[in-house]
Amino acid sequence: MRVRLTKRYTFPASHRLHSPALSDAENRALYGKCDNPHGHGHNYEVELTVRGPVDAVTGRVVDLFALDQLAEDQFLAPFRYRDLNAEVDAFRKAVPTTENLAAEVDRRLRSVWRGVFGADGPDLEKVRIHETDRNICELSDYE
Amino acid sequence: MIISKKVEFSASHICRSPQLSAAENERVYGAAANPLGHGHNYVVEVAIEGRPDPVTGMILDLKRLKDILEEKVLNVYDHRLLNREVAPFDRIVPTVENIAIDIWDRIESIIDLTGSARLYSVRVHETSDLCAEYRGGK
Repeated sequence: MRVRLTKRYTFPASHRLHSPALSDAENRALYGKCDNPHGHGHNYEVELTVRGPVDAVTGRVVDLFALDQLAEDQFLAPFRYRDLNAEVDAFRKAVPTTENLAAEVDRRLRSVWRGVFGADGPDLEKVRIHETDRNICELSDYE
Repeated sequence: MIISKKVEFSASHICRSPQLSAAENERVYGAAANPLGHGHNYVVEVAIEGRPDPVTGMILDLKRLKDILEEKVLNVYDHRLLNREVAPFDRIVPTVENIAIDIWDRIESIIDLTGSARLYSVRVHETSDLCAEYRGGK
């Protein structure tokens, strides 16, 4: 009776796509407008998919309030209304593309997941981030 | 290949388990534990897996799928209080997870009868922020 439950969260943040490993001309050619030195922002949407059996008593795959709290602590509060390049350690080095943002959200959640939900608790199957309606990146455990 | 069909229904429910105390119900379900109930506009996406028929070019007749969903899901769920009017929710809590499983159980055997098509998943969106997907336990 495994079910996948997907919860969506949203936060606004700004970023700049610029790699120190590339020249200014190369950055401009690769990232275009996203390389604007002043940065720009998005309303990011993050979908977390949790997979597990449905509890016979509660009818739930996961404690939704625990999931909400985890999302708040791990990425909503740290990223909301932030300049990702300047205020999030991971993006002082890595370029805050949607891909790297998905990987960072995934890494943060997995680092505390078993501590919150226990060894026998539900699995985090997928992190899916919408940078815009047309730019979406998804990272899954591929089970 | 997978093809999906989307339908909608509106219904009310109460998320409370008789096996939990009042305090536990409040903790697990929050505002959804209101004993007087509340409602949602549910969106159901049914995904069918199969190969397109060489003659029709279709995995299955979508009109037939629409009729099945109308008869087996919408007629049962639409504008109902799920806890009182839709079995099995007199016994189990009508969470979005259990609704996805119940819809699967109502339509799976029927869809299997048509050609190579088989039911792949049932996704139920309770709000734009919360969705459950059931793939027959896989």
